[in-house]
Amino acid sequence: MNLTFRNGAHPPAKKELTENIPLKEMPTPDEVAISLSQHIGAPAQPVVQVGDEVKAGTLIGRAAGFVSSNIYSSVSGTVKGFKTLPTANGGKAQHVVIENDGLYRTQTLPLVNPTKENIVARVQEAGIVGMGGATFPTHVKLSPSKPVDTLIINAAECEPYITCDYRLLIEETTVFIKGVEFLMKALGVKKAYIGIEKNKPEAIRRLISYCPFNIVVKPLKVKYPQGAEKQLIYAITKRKVPAGGLPMDVGCVVDNVHTAYSIAQAVLYGEPCYRRAMTISGRGIHNPGNYWVRNGVSFRYLLDQVKGGEPYPVIQKVISGGPMMGFAQVDLDPCTTKGSSSLLFMVPEDIEIRTESPCINCARCAMACPMMLMPMFIEKAVLENDAKAAKDRGALNCIECGCCAYECPAKRPLVQAMRMAKRIIKEKGV
Amino acid sequence: MYTKYLVSSSPHIASKKTTKNIMIDVVISLIPCMIASILIYGFNPLFNIILATVGSTAGESIYSLMRKRRNTIEDWSAIVTGVILGLNLPPAIPFYMPVIGGIFATLIVKMLFGGIGRNFANPAITARIFLLLAWGASMTAYVAPIDLSKGFSEMFKYVGLSSSEIADLTSATPLSYLKDGNYGAVSNLDLFLGRIGGSAGEVCAIAVLIGFVYLYVRRIIDAKIPVIFVATAAICALAFYGDVNMILPTVLSGGLLFGAVFMATDYATSPNTPWGVVIYAVGCGFLTVLFRKFGRMPEGVSFAILIMNIVTPLLDKYIYPRPFGYKRPKKVKPAKEECAK
Repeated sequence: MNLTFRNGAHPPAKKELTENIPLKEMPTPDEVAISLSQHIGAPAQPVVQVGDEVKAGTLIGRAAGFVSSNIYSSVSGTVKGFKTLPTANGGKAQHVVIENDGLYRTQTLPLVNPTKENIVARVQEAGIVGMGGATFPTHVKLSPSKPVDTLIINAAECEPYITCDYRLLIEETTVFIKGVEFLMKALGVKKAYIGIEKNKPEAIRRLISYCPFNIVVKPLKVKYPQGAEKQLIYAITKRKVPAGGLPMDVGCVVDNVHTAYSIAQAVLYGEPCYRRAMTISGRGIHNPGNYWVRNGVSFRYLLDQVKGGEPYPVIQKVISGGPMMGFAQVDLDPCTTKGSSSLLFMVPEDIEIRTESPCINCARCAMACPMMLMPMFIEKAVLENDAKAAKDRGALNCIECGCCAYECPAKRPLVQAMRMAKRIIKEKGV
Repeated sequence: MYTKYLVSSSPHIASKKTTKNIMIDVVISLIPCMIASILIYGFNPLFNIILATVGSTAGESIYSLMRKRRNTIEDWSAIVTGVILGLNLPPAIPFYMPVIGGIFATLIVKMLFGGIGRNFANPAITARIFLLLAWGASMTAYVAPIDLSKGFSEMFKYVGLSSSEIADLTSATPLSYLKDGNYGAVSNLDLFLGRIGGSAGEVCAIAVLIGFVYLYVRRIIDAKIPVIFVATAAICALAFYGDVNMILPTVLSGGLLFGAVFMATDYATSPNTPWGVVIYAVGCGFLTVLFRKFGRMPEGVSFAILIMNIVTPLLDKYIYPRPFGYKRPKKVKPAKEECAK
């Protein structure tokens, strides 16, 4: 049986570039700049002064409110100052600049008994966020206001190129499963599913042999966006998250593989969240691979480490995140954060330089949309600046997965139109 | 600010399909029909196709020149229109008709309404109807198939004949017998292979089916419209004539298969929603048989598709799928409208 959702697209997976390369430790530069806004919600408040000695795992930013997250230093050394730097998703944020003394002395949180309350408290304390890229603070998800009966681990990894979750599942299977068990305990659920695309047979085999009976591995059809929250819940449980609702409305909580792994690290070893597995890939570099990268490493340093020798290919586009939903980078100043799942260096042949032509009404966008929207009509409404029509056509339900624009033969920028639609609906208040 | 990297909105990759290679695929799918028409009627259909294509590309170019816009014939859609129009015409007609039809199709029906994707009706069908109304006699002068066993010279049988000479050679098409429910006049095998009088590209059912399979396998069209169109026509034939033997002749004769596969599926003029498509195709099939049985003319496919083309914007406006997870808000009074809002 093929578990999946309706519609969707089939972009080439391109995972062969990195999927068989084991995780390696990425060296850390002499200076790291750690963003205080690595999560959705209020930026953290800095709690260190210039000149303070810190260790890897020292709290440098305290969560400002419930929907916020603690920030820890990723290296040992001295705080040099505060700087406003561009972030990978196009904004700006305050960064703590730390001089790395190269000793990597660590500081851990005190170990606790993993009871329900202690796990939630530890997740909050360790600053764990959704590591798939959305970076929503996990402790908020672990305090649902509605009854929850199912935990779903998102191991679909449906974006092309990205393989860090896959490597993590293979290399850290037991720690990951421990994390899933902690999550189940924190939520008080009896059953967990691991949704994983079928193009990862080795990980599926390992998971099936290691998982206890109450964690069920669900191989899913290979289709983008299989890892989108609502689509994943539907594929596994056939429950439909109501439009504008949250997974907990249907009794589900979805967490990413890396989140579960980080929770296990925090609970078992008291290690707060300051480093992560990251895929650095694309044909623009000679040494693509999966790396353990500490927070605050600039993309420029990463490129220097992986670009290899001459001849250097032409890098046309740098993408933080996957090619379907990631952010194109203006330059290489941004630094890695908790949400940096991948960094792609793309050559001109691998990316699409869109030259748009008129819509031919072929409905390929509508047939690809996993939310059953009709992007061509929303785009028309946006071009006519008609916020009401855009809202009537369901523009607010768009998850910006990019299937419509991927399939469009006229190469129209449909995702941009969707974002525009959401904006004009908000501005005009219809 | 200077940057050496390209920055754009996601997604950063796209499928290889473009408007142009979709259109080229449609032209490829029409090749069996072209070959069949040449084998059945000699070289005349080939000239019609070429002339209609010249006309349709000229029409689009004239418009682009007049409006000083980029010429859009490079997307091949004008060629598709020309080829379909050429295949829609009777084999032996005066040379200027395909040209005028082609110009009418792109210049009037397509470009004046905003170009590709904006036309309200299928250009080829509208041009055919235009020619039918303008030159009714020539457009219904259907010659009999040639007999290739008499030698290669048969291929030139209808080349260069004047209208009056053609008029002497015409014969009634199977459709005129069928109108009265007289299905025995032509065998179903002849209908299937196209050994009958009719429009050049429409007569050979097997060639149309090969084209359909190609389009379906290449995922250019959804099978829904052709299949529902033909199925509805078959059911309506049974209902209107009350005779099981009428089903096959109805499906195989005239332009029904050709229209269902190549014309009703035109992107711009067919609905884009799962259920809109169903209504559209059912409407096409129903109207076709209705016109055939009760209309003045023996054929009704073009008119049926034209009418449903005009209904399409309404279908798109009122019938569209609900977003994933949408729940209709509960109203105090029962809602009258059926559409999802």
